[in-house]
Amino acid sequence: MTERITEVAVGATRTEGGTRTRSYRIGGASALPGMGDAGSRPLVALEICDDPALWPAVVLEEVGDLAGDLAGWARAAEEWWNADLVRLVLTSTRRRGFDDPAAAGRAVEEVLAATGLPLVVEGSADPALDTEVFRRCGEAGEGERLLLGTAEAERYRSVAAAALAYGHAVVAQTPIDINLAKQLNILLRETGVSHDRIVIDPYTGALGYGFEYSYSVMERVRTAALAGDADLAMPMISAAQDSLTVKEVREAPDEERAGTAVEWEFYAAFAAAVAGAGIVCVRHPRTVGVLKEAVADLWEGAGWP
Amino acid sequence: MAMKALEVYKLLPKTNCKECGFPTCLAFAMKLAAGGVEPERCPYLDEETKALLGGATRPPVRAVTVGVGARSFTVGEEIVMFRHEKTFYHRPGIMVCAADTSPVAEIRRTAEEVRDFVVHRVGQDLTLDGIALRCESGDPDRFAAAAMAVGECGDLPRLLIAADPAAHEAALRVCGQFLPLIHAATTENHAEMAALAKRYGCPLVVRAETQVKLADLAAQCTAAGAPAVLLDPAPRTMGDFVARASHLREHAVTRAAPDLGYPLYLDTVPLGTDAALAAGILRYAGVIAVPPLPHPSLLAALTLRQNIYTDPQKPIQVAPGIYPVNNPGRDAPVLLSVNFSLTYFTLLGYLEAAKVPCYLFVVDTAGLSVLTAVAGGKLDEEVVKKAIEATDLAGTVGHRTIVIPGFAAPLSGRIEEATGWTVRVGPRDAAEIGEFLETETEG
Ligand code: B12
Ligand code: SF4
Repeated sequence: MTERITEVAVGATRTEGGTRTRSYRIGGASALPGMGDAGSRPLVALEICDDPALWPAVVLEEVGDLAGDLAGWARAAEEWWNADLVRLVLTSTRRRGFDDPAAAGRAVEEVLAATGLPLVVEGSADPALDTEVFRRCGEAGEGERLLLGTAEAERYRSVAAAALAYGHAVVAQTPIDINLAKQLNILLRETGVSHDRIVIDPYTGALGYGFEYSYSVMERVRTAALAGDADLAMPMISAAQDSLTVKEVREAPDEERAGTAVEWEFYAAFAAAVAGAGIVCVRHPRTVGVLKEAVADLWEGAGWP
Repeated sequence: MAMKALEVYKLLPKTNCKECGFPTCLAFAMKLAAGGVEPERCPYLDEETKALLGGATRPPVRAVTVGVGARSFTVGEEIVMFRHEKTFYHRPGIMVCAADTSPVAEIRRTAEEVRDFVVHRVGQDLTLDGIALRCESGDPDRFAAAAMAVGECGDLPRLLIAADPAAHEAALRVCGQFLPLIHAATTENHAEMAALAKRYGCPLVVRAETQVKLADLAAQCTAAGAPAVLLDPAPRTMGDFVARASHLREHAVTRAAPDLGYPLYLDTVPLGTDAALAAGILRYAGVIAVPPLPHPSLLAALTLRQNIYTDPQKPIQVAPGIYPVNNPGRDAPVLLSVNFSLTYFTLLGYLEAAKVPCYLFVVDTAGLSVLTAVAGGKLDEEVVKKAIEATDLAGTVGHRTIVIPGFAAPLSGRIEEATGWTVRVGPRDAAEIGEFLETETEG
C-alpha cells in the first residue's frame, strides 16, 4: 500500500487569492490513522444554519440568541468554540415555497465577513432550486475555495458548474456504497471537476442508526484508495446529521440532554476520524473541543518501528 | 502453515459426539481450518494433535475467558484487521474501576451498579462486563478486603490491578475461584505473577513498552504455566494505544509473531476516558478498564460497541410475522413493516406509548429498513402478497385493510392489486403514528 490520498485545498488566504485567515490542505494519507502516515490531521467543522426552525432543539438551547444571528454564530464558532471550519447549512432553502436564492448568497457573504475560517456550504436539496442557489453561493464565495455541497448521483451538475465557475471544491455524497461513490467521482470528473477538488461524503448514519455501515464504508473507501483505486483517492467528510434527533438524545432527562448530545456526536465523529475522515462535522458547540483534543491525541500517537 | 479442512478432519475422532458445540467433526474441522476456534474445544484430542492443530489452525488472536458463570466473557478469536473483511467476533469487555482506598460500602455499590446496569437497544441487552479493583493502598490486606466486598456481587467478572504480586496473592486467596483477570506481569515480577496465574488458573495481562519485550513476556509466562495471556502495550496516550494495537493486530492476523497473538488490554483511566474508550472499541482492545462513567458516555460507548461488533453482512433482525400490540381485537388495524430490528423496536416504542391496539405485520426484507428495502427491491407487492399467504393474517383480523409506512407510499397501488387488500398510507415518521391511528379509527 504505497498510494496516497489526493490533497484538497480548503479555504484561501490573501496570498492565495481569498480573505481567509487560514487555509488547509486535507488528505495526503498513505495509511489509515494509527497504521502509518495518515496525512493531515482531521478538521473539526461546526455546523450553523440560516433558518433555525429546522435545527435540533438541543443546539438551540445551547446557542440561545446566536441562532437568529448568523454572523454572531459564525464568529462564536471561531472565537469561543475554536472550530477549524464553519459549515453553513442553508436550511432556509428547505422550506416549502422558498424562492429567494439571492438570500442564500447573502448568507454566505455574511458568514465569510464574520469569520476568517474556511467555509463549507451545504446548499439546497431540490433540483428545482439547485442551479440558482449554487450559483449565488459560488459567486458569493468567489476566490475563497469553499467546499460546496452536496453533489449526488441525480443532482450534481449545478454544484459542479458553480464550483468550476468560481473555483471551489465539491462534496460528493452517495448512500453508504463504495461503488456509487466511485461512480459519482467519475461523473464529476467528466464534467470537469478535477480529483483535487472532490471530497467524498460516503453518508454517515447516526450512532446506533446506520453508523455500523458508515464506519466500514469509510474504511473500505480508504483501503481501496490506498490499494490503488484513484477514483476513490480523495479525502472524506463525515457528518452524522441525524445525531441530535435520535431517540436517545430527544428522550434524555433534561439534565442529561446536552451531555448525551455531545457524546452521541463525539463517539460517531471520532470513530469517523479513526476510519479515515478528513473533515468531521458536528452541531453541538461543546462537541468541538473534546473532538479536537481527541483527534490531536490520535495524530500524535507513537507506534513501534 | 495453514491446513485444509479435510486434513484437519483426518486428525479428529470422527465420532460426531457434538461436545465441541458443532454438529459434526467435519463442521468443527471446517471452522478450525478457517481459524475461527481453538482445537481445545474437542475434549478427545491428545496433546500432540492439539499442538499440531493449534499451530496450524489456532485463530491468530487466541481466545481468553475472564470470570466464571453466566457473566463470564470471552475475547480474542479475531481473524481480521477490518470488520468488512469478515466480522469482529468478541466485543471487548468493559470493566469499571474501583480503588481499594474507597470505603468498602462504596466499592460494593459500584459493583452492584455495574452488575445491574443494562440498556435495551434494538432487542439486545447492552451491559457492562465486570469490576476492576485497583490497589492504590499498597496494602495487600486492604486489597483483599476490597476483593471480599465485591464477593457479594456473585459471579461478576473481576479484574485485579496491582503492581505487587503480594497484593494479588492476598486478593486471589479471597476471590481466585472467580478466575479474575490479573494485571500485570512485567519484566520485574513476571515469575511471581505467572506462578499465581498458574496456581489459580486465571488469565494474566503482561505489560511492556516494546513489542519485543511483550512477546518475550508472553512467551515466558505461558511457558511458566499461565493459562491465558492478554497484552498491555503500556501506551502513554490514546494515540499510542491506537498505533500499537493496530501494529499488534497486524502481526497477529498475518501470523507473523505467534507470541503476539493474544487479545489486548487497555486502561483508559490515565488516557482521557471517552476518546480512549472509543479508540479501544474501534481498534482491537479485548478488555477495557474504565472509571465509573456518566450515563451519556456509557450509552454512547455501548452503542458504538454494538455497532462495531454487529456483523456488517447481517443486520440485526426480528422474525417476520404478526405481532399483536396493546391487546388488539379482530377490528384492530394492521400495520405493515420490515424485519430490521431498529425499525421494529422504534415502531413498537411509539405504538406502545400511543396505547392504540393494533397488529404489527412484519415482512421479511432481509433486515433492511423501509426506505432501503424499497430502494433495493426487497419490499414490493410480491413480498407482501407472499407474507399475507404465509401467515394467517386473513384469519386474524375481520377486515381487509393494511396500513403501509409513508416511505413505502409508491407501492400502495401495486400492493392493492396484488393482494386485494385495501391499502392506507401511514405517516413517514413513526412519531406521528399514534395521532394517525386515532384519527383513522375515529373516521
Ligand atoms: C443504513 C442505510 C443503509 C444500509 C442498510 C441498513 C438496513 N439494515 O436497512 C445499507 C448500507 C446496506 C444501505 C443500502 C442501500 N441503501 Co441505504 N440507507 C441507510 C440509511 C442511512 C439509514 C436507514 C435506516 O436505518 N433508517 C432507520 C429506520 C428505523 O427507518 P425506517 O425503516 O424507515 O423506519 C421508520 C419509518 O419508516 C417508520 N415506519 C417503519 N415502519 C412503519 C410502518 C408504518 C405502518 C408506518 C406508518 C411507519 C413505519 O418508522 C420508523 C421510524 O421513524 C438511509 C438514510 C436515512 N437517513 O434514512 C439510507 C437510504 C435509505 N438508502 C438509500 C439507498 C438508495 C440504498 C441503496 C439502494 C444504495 C445502494 N447501495 O445501491 C442500498 C439498497 C440495499 C440493497 N443493497 O438491497 C436511500 C434511499 C433513497 C430513496 N429515497 O429511495 C437512502 C434514503 C439514502 C439517501 N439519502 O440516498 N442503506
Ligand atoms: S467434540 Fe471432537 S469428536 Fe465430538 S464432534 Fe466435536 S470434533 Fe468430533
